[in-house]
Amino acid sequence: MRRETWRSAVAGSAALFILAPVALVLYQSFLSAPFYSARAKLGLGSYAFILNDDDFWAALGHSLTLSASMVLIAVPLGSLLAFLNVRTDVPGRRWLEPAILLPLFVSPMVLAFGFIVSAGPVGFITIWWQNHIGPAGWNIYSFAALILVVGLTHVPHVYIYVSAALRTVPSDLEEAARVAGANPFQVARRVTLPLIWPTIAVAGVLVFFLGFELFGLPYVLGDPEGRLVLATYLYKLTTRLGTPAYNMMAVVVVAIMLFTLPLVLLQRRMLRSADRHATMRGKASRPKLIPLGKWRWVALALIVTWLLFVVVIPLVGITFRSFVSAWGSTVTVADVLTLENYRAINNVRGVGRSIVNTLLIAIVGGLLSVCVFTLLALASHRSKQWSTRALDFLVLLPRAMPGIIAGLVVFWLFLFIEPLKPYVTTLATVWIAYTLVWLPFGLRLISNSLGQVSRELEEAAAVTGAKRTVVARQVILPLAKHGMIAAWLLTFLLYVREYSTGIYLFAPGTEVMGAMLVNLWTSGNIDVVASLSVINSAAIAVGIALALRFGIRLDA
Amino acid sequence: MNRAIVAVTLGLFCAVAANAADVPAGYPAEYAKILDAAEKEGRLVIYANTEQFAVNPILEDFKAAFPKIQVDYLELKAADLYTRATSEIAANTLKADFIWSSAMDLQYQLVDENAVATYASVEKPNMPSWALYKDQLYGVTFEPVAIVYNKKLVPEADVPQTRDAFAKLLETKKADYVGKVAMYDPERSGLGFFVISHDARVGDGIWKLVKAMGPTSPKLYVATGQMLEKVGSGEHSIAYNIIGPYALLKAEKDPNIGIVMPKDYTQILTRIALIPKAAPHPNAGKVFLDYLLSKRGQQVIADKALLYSIRADIQGKATAAKLIADMGDKLKPIAITPALLDDLDPAKRLPFYKKFNNALAGK
Repeated sequence: MRRETWRSAVAGSAALFILAPVALVLYQSFLSAPFYSARAKLGLGSYAFILNDDDFWAALGHSLTLSASMVLIAVPLGSLLAFLNVRTDVPGRRWLEPAILLPLFVSPMVLAFGFIVSAGPVGFITIWWQNHIGPAGWNIYSFAALILVVGLTHVPHVYIYVSAALRTVPSDLEEAARVAGANPFQVARRVTLPLIWPTIAVAGVLVFFLGFELFGLPYVLGDPEGRLVLATYLYKLTTRLGTPAYNMMAVVVVAIMLFTLPLVLLQRRMLRSADRHATMRGKASRPKLIPLGKWRWVALALIVTWLLFVVVIPLVGITFRSFVSAWGSTVTVADVLTLENYRAINNVRGVGRSIVNTLLIAIVGGLLSVCVFTLLALASHRSKQWSTRALDFLVLLPRAMPGIIAGLVVFWLFLFIEPLKPYVTTLATVWIAYTLVWLPFGLRLISNSLGQVSRELEEAAAVTGAKRTVVARQVILPLAKHGMIAAWLLTFLLYVREYSTGIYLFAPGTEVMGAMLVNLWTSGNIDVVASLSVINSAAIAVGIALALRFGIRLDA
Repeated sequence: MNRAIVAVTLGLFCAVAANAADVPAGYPAEYAKILDAAEKEGRLVIYANTEQFAVNPILEDFKAAFPKIQVDYLELKAADLYTRATSEIAANTLKADFIWSSAMDLQYQLVDENAVATYASVEKPNMPSWALYKDQLYGVTFEPVAIVYNKKLVPEADVPQTRDAFAKLLETKKADYVGKVAMYDPERSGLGFFVISHDARVGDGIWKLVKAMGPTSPKLYVATGQMLEKVGSGEHSIAYNIIGPYALLKAEKDPNIGIVMPKDYTQILTRIALIPKAAPHPNAGKVFLDYLLSKRGQQVIADKALLYSIRADIQGKATAAKLIADMGDKLKPIAITPALLDDLDPAKRLPFYKKFNNALAGK
């Protein structure tokens, strides 16, 4: 039993790491002023204020509507794309899959700004449309447009789950249906769909939950109309009452967690049963593809149109903006072409450093995070101790807290905990915050690859007298190595893209691209927003290219 | 004996004088001590909300004048800056030696929280008294709050020169301006609230304007830069309460941008500088403050940073002298007084939001 204490030790430190921020938020929500202020008194005043604030209810309503509509758009479309790509002979399947996953890795700030430049009231597509077709019937700032954008950009999240499920479902049943004379649509509806229904439901819960966290897209696109969602309402509380009202913000975080935590737990429960469902595999045989006939091209056109909308249009927009000094209805493009926006990167303090820091955090920090995830995963690997099982649930907590708040709380912890003080304006804060925010995701990634190591190998080693650490070092880790490298690369991509977590950690020396973009956008330095966005997307593109080169699945 | 003392004293004096060769002209000799201490500190950390394009020329010139002081500049949103400073002060880990922000109310709040050091700048006599507070707060700039428009979208003859004319333009040509008007959202921008609440103190003209804006569904923003970008692109035609210096900087790059200083009255903000009590390098903070207020610093502010020099004796592109010559008593500087705290009182803000939203809705 003694050798199991290390598990408890790991679980204990992880619990501290996760619970400290959550506890601080909870405590702050019951105070009348920031917790470090002498004026702070315990009470329920902040709750009373928020619950009586019409804006809060409006924001909550918008968040719920947004989440529900995202489910309605992303789930059917994502499932359809997964079916088309995994089960049918749609042309270009090999390159389609990585392309479908692209929106996962493009920063929402970049997307949102790209949409304004291309499809906003004076965007280049809008102007072209007005000159050649007629009045543009859309408004990028409307709620409907926001719903469409967030719905369509979350299609890949559904795709990942559903395509994975589809690969484990045997194709013999479909074939039987085909032989019996069913057309592809009937096969999809009557055979495939019932088989993967649990997974689709899981993806639906995930998307609904992600809707609650949205910050970047509503911040940029919903802003001029003054339309708030919970995360932007939270941000508004920094100025609304004169001085930043952290007590009220804490209340909103508690509210967000009250909604998201049950969703996370629900998703987890469903995932377990879906996994159990999926393990009833058929014989490992190459699935036969359903021939779509002439519909192949319709299917392809559908996918390409979607990609055009969520990736190509915004990225072209932002790239265009990065090469001009002004744009819009009153500008002739030839007059304003420039490289100045890229040169400006050198002139704006911190921007150059933000690029270096982001790469550091993503490459070195990403590797360190994977080590942390691995340690945690090993601690709970095949363990039945209560401490590690509790950890299983604890790691879901950070998922329920918006990244921007996780960053602020980590800043406070470094500021007020004596041994951490010297590190408060170092990249360590950013790394801790990123690791915390992405812990649930990273852990799932690593546990999956550890889980693929078969139990017999571990037992064989144990029988020959190997201690647990030796088993871990000589059996499990080498076998799971590929999975861990894949996890490193995915972590790299996520860390380059991350934007909200670094906002409150911003200091000379801790700038990262994502937070820099938000900062530059807020202060209105749009020239540099554009060029930095292009660089950010380029770094991500390099990461994706590497992943493809080494055969790492982006949907791990 | 006496001679020896004189010689030693003279020698010391020369040594100090040699070391302090760059004590600015006209400064008292003892200033060398501050300068010496500042150079020994060797570092200056500034927290500010001034856009980098505006602040860079100032920092470069400061570096040229005082090469031994290394400068770190952190640009933060005004509200985040306040949080950063107050929480670092509470944790005894303040990094900033100098806090410089256009949020005049939040800067005053720091005085109220007993966080601001007292230092009588050598340059005080050259400053207008409304921009000084008890040797603690120094208003460094003279920034007009302007109306900005797109020259290709608002015909020359229509450009409103007063709030009244602005209101009339929106009433008579409403169709042209639907969705084309931009302004600050007072609820989400501290500065936006500050400016418009001072508008309301000048008179009821602002409510007439807000009521006229209502039917055009104006778009409300959190930052000047976003509004300037969208007026430049033509998404909006005209924007109200834009911070003058940023408009001027944008106009230098984008010829479509036009700027009007309202002739009925133009509010003047000043970017307040202070040295926190807990500053790790207080002498460097003092030297930077004196530099900012000095003729040299103000000349850079006038010609390169375009933040509008506050000193009456500075001539150049963006100066108080020029604005005063043009507009005289139509300028309404917001003085640094304890009354600034009123702007941070939730009990005053919340009813104001209501009034504002009602006016927009035509009530």
